[in-house]
Amino acid sequence: MRIALVSTYPPSKGSLNEYAYHFVSYLRLKPEVSEITILADELPSGLSYPADDTESGRASVHIRPCWRFGDWKNARRIQQAMKQIQPDVVLFNMQFATFADRRVPGALGLLGPWQVKSERTVSAVLLHNIMETVELDKAGFGGNPVMMWITRQAGNIFTRILLKADLVAVTIPKYVDILTSKYGVDHVVLAPHGSFEEIPEPAYELPDGPLQIMAFGKFGTYKRVEPLIEAFALLQKSHNKPLELVVAGTDSPNTPGYLEGIRERYAHVANVRFTGYVEEEDVPRVFKEAAVVVFPYNSTTGSSGVLHQAGSYGKAVVLPNLGDLAELIAEEGYTGEFFEPDDPHSMAQAIAKFIDNPEHRQHVGSQNYLAASGLPINEVVDWYLLHFERLLNTRNKVLAAESTERG
Amino acid sequence: MELKHRKAGTVDIIELSGRFDAYEVPLVNRWFDEHTTAQHVIVNLGGVGFIDSSGLSTLVKGLKRCRNHNGDLYLCNLQQAVTIIFELTRLDKAFNIYDDEQSALDAIPG
Repeated sequence: MRIALVSTYPPSKGSLNEYAYHFVSYLRLKPEVSEITILADELPSGLSYPADDTESGRASVHIRPCWRFGDWKNARRIQQAMKQIQPDVVLFNMQFATFADRRVPGALGLLGPWQVKSERTVSAVLLHNIMETVELDKAGFGGNPVMMWITRQAGNIFTRILLKADLVAVTIPKYVDILTSKYGVDHVVLAPHGSFEEIPEPAYELPDGPLQIMAFGKFGTYKRVEPLIEAFALLQKSHNKPLELVVAGTDSPNTPGYLEGIRERYAHVANVRFTGYVEEEDVPRVFKEAAVVVFPYNSTTGSSGVLHQAGSYGKAVVLPNLGDLAELIAEEGYTGEFFEPDDPHSMAQAIAKFIDNPEHRQHVGSQNYLAASGLPINEVVDWYLLHFERLLNTRNKVLAAESTERG
Repeated sequence: MELKHRKAGTVDIIELSGRFDAYEVPLVNRWFDEHTTAQHVIVNLGGVGFIDSSGLSTLVKGLKRCRNHNGDLYLCNLQQAVTIIFELTRLDKAFNIYDDEQSALDAIPG
């Protein structure tokens, strides 16, 4: 299979360049791929792309700069380059502002996938964002409300044009739902983003000293440590082993003085340590030393970056039983013990399940590590190749049927 | 998760039950590693109520292995929650999916 990838690519600094680099580095290792041509953006003077790489045992890689950010003629130039190289499949690695930050050239660039398809070449798009969720101000399309409305309507039109491609891959399930229901299409697929690097397997051993129960974040709004400290006091009463509660982080900007107030109010509870702001280089140590990471939240808007961090360090987690949070967490592959929000007894029981059972703690930590590691991009590439093979088979059947008809 | 293996003639049938996620993936990978020459494999997912992207990816790898041996991987008995994930990823178009084991067996050439 000969594949063309329309994308920014290092040393270009354009967004999605890193994704393209990792995608190609694995794509070229697949035995079904014989040649990859990157239709890249032109570089500023003084910079150049690597020479053609034709190392045996893997697909050759050629880089052909043929478009320029902000240019009005990008789609046509890509089409011309594509005609010259005659690939089986063209994959666009893109977002709405890939080709320009101004409306007209940006929109014209989005015609590329349609133009490729019109040449009877399989056309696929990996769309990293969708218009329905783009914050127009931040994307550089902002302005007054009328202009934003017009931009949004134009976005709808150009989404329809992008959807003319044979396949549109998005990385978030919600995007599939939005595009399929709004535009009535059935060729939008979920393809996970994929992880570039392997997260090293954590050591599950804990340092000597008291077992640390840790909460991490900015506290005071929906992250409240009162029930956590009360739960900790209950645990100290019910357990003989030495324990320490570590409150790692600062006040939320909306609740200045919150933690200082807590420190005074709970001064009678022993073995509670407030770290204050945790410097970036100290974050790994804080997580590694913890036996259990607790999320003392009483509301939440979705999944959590702290959960991902806890997972990457192989930690057992204690979470609030809130709305569909448990379901969301399970969908992402994480697991933990759950407590009723704002209930210190329930929280203490959940924490105790890990304190009392080191094997359970390690089992859950190990599962969370796997969830945080994510699907390697190497495996995501296989998904694309399966789709490409299917689309090529369909196209070849259509071409054969047309050829037969013509006699 | 549980994995049960049996043969029907030259066809390998593996029956999975439980959650098919990153934590359980090594069990299935190990089976494929131990059966490197398996050609036609039916995976009965009747007992699987949840599958995540790593579970799907394991099946994709299995499919590629079978096709490299001029065979194929067939899926059957998908529960609704699992079907939804296949439809979301459109991998339902890439796999041969059947209602039950017998239908999958009937579809295998030879």
